[in-house]
Amino acid sequence: MRFFLPIFLIGSLAFTVVEFSGEQRLQMPYRKEGLTELEAAEHLLSRLSFGARPGEAKKLLSMGLEKWTMQQLEHSLPDPEIDKRLAGYDALLLSNETIVNTYLNVGQVVRVFQKKGELSKDSMAKLGKDDYKKDIKQLMLKEGLKAPQELNRQLFAQKLIRAAYSENQLQELMTDFWFNHFNVSMTKGQTQSYVLTYERDAIRPNTMGKFETILKATAQHPAMLFYLDNASSGSDNNDMNQRIKKMVPANSKLKKTAGLNENYAREVMELHTLGVDGGYTQSDVTELARALTGWTVRPMMKGGYGAQMSKMQGSKMRGKIATTEGDFMFLAIRHDQGEKTILGKKYPANGGLNEGIEALHQLAVHPSTATFICKKIAIRFVSDTPSAKLVAEMAAVFTKTEGDIKQTMVAMLNSREFWKRQQLRSKVKSPFELVISTIRATNAELRNTAQINEWCSKMGQKIYGYAAPTGFPDKASHWVNTGAVLNRMNFGLAFAAQRIQGVSTNLLALNNNHEPESVDDALQTYSAILMPTGNQKENINRLTAMVRDETLQSKLDKALASTQSTSTIEEDMSGTMGMMDDAMAPKMGKGKANAKKMPAIEMGVSGQVAHVVGIIIGSPEFQRK
Amino acid sequence: MANRRAFMRSGAMALFATGLGGVPSFITATAGEKKIIPPYKKAKTLVCIFQRGAMDGLMAVTPYSDPNLKLLRPGLYMSPAQTEGKLFDLDGKFGLHPSLGSLSPYFTEGRMAVVHGVGSPNKTRSHFDAQDYMESGTPNSKSTASGWLNRAVGLTGHDATPFSAVSLTAALPRSLQGDHDALAINNLEEFVIQMRGNPLAGNMAANSFEQLYDQTSNQLLKQSGKESFEAMKMLDLKLVKNYTPVSGAIYPNSPLGKSLKQIAMLVKMNIGMEVAFAESGGWDTHFNQGTTNGSFARNLKDFSDSIAAFWKDMEGYQDDVTVMTMTEFGRTVHQNGTGGTDHGRASCLFVLGNDVQGGKVYHKMGALDKASLEDNRDLPVTTDFRSVFGAVAKKHLNVVDTAKLFPGYEGDMLYL
Repeated sequence: MRFFLPIFLIGSLAFTVVEFSGEQRLQMPYRKEGLTELEAAEHLLSRLSFGARPGEAKKLLSMGLEKWTMQQLEHSLPDPEIDKRLAGYDALLLSNETIVNTYLNVGQVVRVFQKKGELSKDSMAKLGKDDYKKDIKQLMLKEGLKAPQELNRQLFAQKLIRAAYSENQLQELMTDFWFNHFNVSMTKGQTQSYVLTYERDAIRPNTMGKFETILKATAQHPAMLFYLDNASSGSDNNDMNQRIKKMVPANSKLKKTAGLNENYAREVMELHTLGVDGGYTQSDVTELARALTGWTVRPMMKGGYGAQMSKMQGSKMRGKIATTEGDFMFLAIRHDQGEKTILGKKYPANGGLNEGIEALHQLAVHPSTATFICKKIAIRFVSDTPSAKLVAEMAAVFTKTEGDIKQTMVAMLNSREFWKRQQLRSKVKSPFELVISTIRATNAELRNTAQINEWCSKMGQKIYGYAAPTGFPDKASHWVNTGAVLNRMNFGLAFAAQRIQGVSTNLLALNNNHEPESVDDALQTYSAILMPTGNQKENINRLTAMVRDETLQSKLDKALASTQSTSTIEEDMSGTMGMMDDAMAPKMGKGKANAKKMPAIEMGVSGQVAHVVGIIIGSPEFQRK
Repeated sequence: MANRRAFMRSGAMALFATGLGGVPSFITATAGEKKIIPPYKKAKTLVCIFQRGAMDGLMAVTPYSDPNLKLLRPGLYMSPAQTEGKLFDLDGKFGLHPSLGSLSPYFTEGRMAVVHGVGSPNKTRSHFDAQDYMESGTPNSKSTASGWLNRAVGLTGHDATPFSAVSLTAALPRSLQGDHDALAINNLEEFVIQMRGNPLAGNMAANSFEQLYDQTSNQLLKQSGKESFEAMKMLDLKLVKNYTPVSGAIYPNSPLGKSLKQIAMLVKMNIGMEVAFAESGGWDTHFNQGTTNGSFARNLKDFSDSIAAFWKDMEGYQDDVTVMTMTEFGRTVHQNGTGGTDHGRASCLFVLGNDVQGGKVYHKMGALDKASLEDNRDLPVTTDFRSVFGAVAKKHLNVVDTAKLFPGYEGDMLYL
């Protein structure tokens, strides 16, 4: 609101259209860059969604590009499809406390039961391995304990399902973007249990709000506190700490010397806000780490030291020792109470919890942050190498609106650079984007996400599993290397031949159950369905020359006819391949238009279609967005 | 053999390997045959193993004779006497962890060297930064785009093949990123266009893809596509599938064991591999690290047995292969409150090869009393990792220009 008056005045004078609310109006200048409305619609779908579904660009035209884009920016469209598909996933709404006490690894399970006296140290020797395992399984069932793999299965599934089917596509892209920006990884054991709530509570609700909000939410979430070790960073430079140390028995946890851990403090400046060249020094890292000492996680394990802490709840003592806000805990007695200087700003002694909050605010509004964040957004949505001018324009809006992400996105969409013809299909899809765009382009039905997820990993993108805090690099050269492209081609072939378990698509239905008359025809038809974007003429011409080769046609028939042969290379070598060929082929031919056909011919036709579609999905043009 | 010309690199590829001169013209030798001198120049194969997570060098090769060690890590201390001779005494000062038993013969034979007190001049104790610095080879600059092994490939003075640099990982590690071709593949068996049905269908799909990628306007896709197809044609999948290691070479069924086994295949196929890269995880031992048994011991045994199996499997090729291990930093000299160790500074590394001056622990390590430690807690770095990497690259890969390999490094080389 602070900017209301001046902006209004400027707005009425200058030609920049500024609305009454102080928000910029969405005005996408695609025509100025010579794009047709259809091209603009396709570009929008390519960049603000995980890929167009069949016929979606035309839908955009009829509803209006501005309206569609505004809906995506507002991200509050009803999503009954998602509600339906996720209905069976019972872990998605659980609290951290329930999760850490329910999804236990084997070691934790054994400890719980040993404590309860239901297992003893020599149980394994006494019972033998198999009975021991059975015993544990039964005990787990009785106590309602589950394996962490089940939690992770649901986490992976919800991401894939939302990306494929949500109406609020931009929200899914932004969730992916911010998660990657504030990356945490399952590869770090302690973090694993919290990844689900991290995305749900810290990232997802804050994707299009103020940057400072998402920064603080990530800083205080257990996943981040554990991942970058701030949870264990502490100091003994604290009066109360010293007093307590004298009071407690020698074996108390409180007796332990606390030490500074700079990991989070460094990464929050380098990776989350200022950027590596953002103008901070090693001393700023140490000082910020000191300001964040005592920022940790509320103990939640039953029977652990959390239980002891909870007993103290309400006591006068506890309020002074620690305060909690959700699952974030400020452990006052581990906070360095001395004075600090961060990026030239003095923080007087005894600043407590507030000092860290203020420091995050200082980082959020720093000019380096505006540039760093806007460049990253531009790289994600515009091109691998956005111009300094575009970044500066976005950064100006970012700063003016106190880090309003939605407004920054509007500034990006209002720029001419976003719409330059050279940007169309200039970015390379990440493996996740390839997989999801394939599902969307073919109206595929995703029933089980395990194998699809495995393909993402195989192509180089282990979801929620990028170990370093940098997140996946967002540039083509990371995804495209020798080896990786072969996996992409194989994905295309496996997908179209219905060889990936848990996902199926009816290729003939995509063409209203009209069976293509020739391979040539199939190519034209399915290119148009799968890659409506831009001018595909050239691409189709290249392929056509190949499929028109008459000997190729007969070779293809011959090759496909021997599909059932058992001695195949691939069958033996790929554990992930399904066995759906036989089941799928007749099913695919069951469209009304094909009812009179002989099964053998149907098999051939759907095989040809699958071959053509596989080649299209694996082709270089389909790797671009 | 008549089709060998099809394996030759195209003009575009030659262009890519800029400044190296001459039209590349290598021909692959029949895989499986031993000791065929290929017409392309290949010095040797350097196999690098990155131990991610920071290995406790003081436990792997323990300076047991220093009384300070027992004081600072009483629960983690081992000596030959205390372990009833299981700790393998190397020289009266250092002892090899019992889990490294499968490698100890190579030390005795003088083919394996240990370098201790090795690390980076950059004092970061962040895994990510330290790995990044070690892999870029520039400990004081984050902006270095290429990895040191990628630069090494470019500095060998001859043309590369699609298999010059191979990483047995899903994504290309930082060490191999850069201007020169490098290939990342987790599983060689997946290096083929897979069509259910017969290979003919797969071949046809491969042909279609090859032409499509050749014609795309996106240079990166075009380039990678080309390299992939060239590599794919060179790789004989039947050999991969039917691969049998030398008898007695028993690879652990672990990620490292699998990676090294595939590296062995590639060496024997003789397709010009000069740099191979593999990873080993689980070294971040903050909790209950154990001594002769426990998590560290188990992990170290896998590490040792994988390398030992590889070396055995390399019979007949050992003269041309060097193995070097590395880890981003070491761990605290003192044990922490949970039976483990925290992030420290220097660690140790191993170099194995027939022309390595082994049987020796190279070090400048001083006493481990608190006052002599870095920040009163860590084994100081007395050997810059670049002095070892540089010397190994020079001696085993014929990289002459080490100034280009490690820009900004002016220290000595440690030749082993």
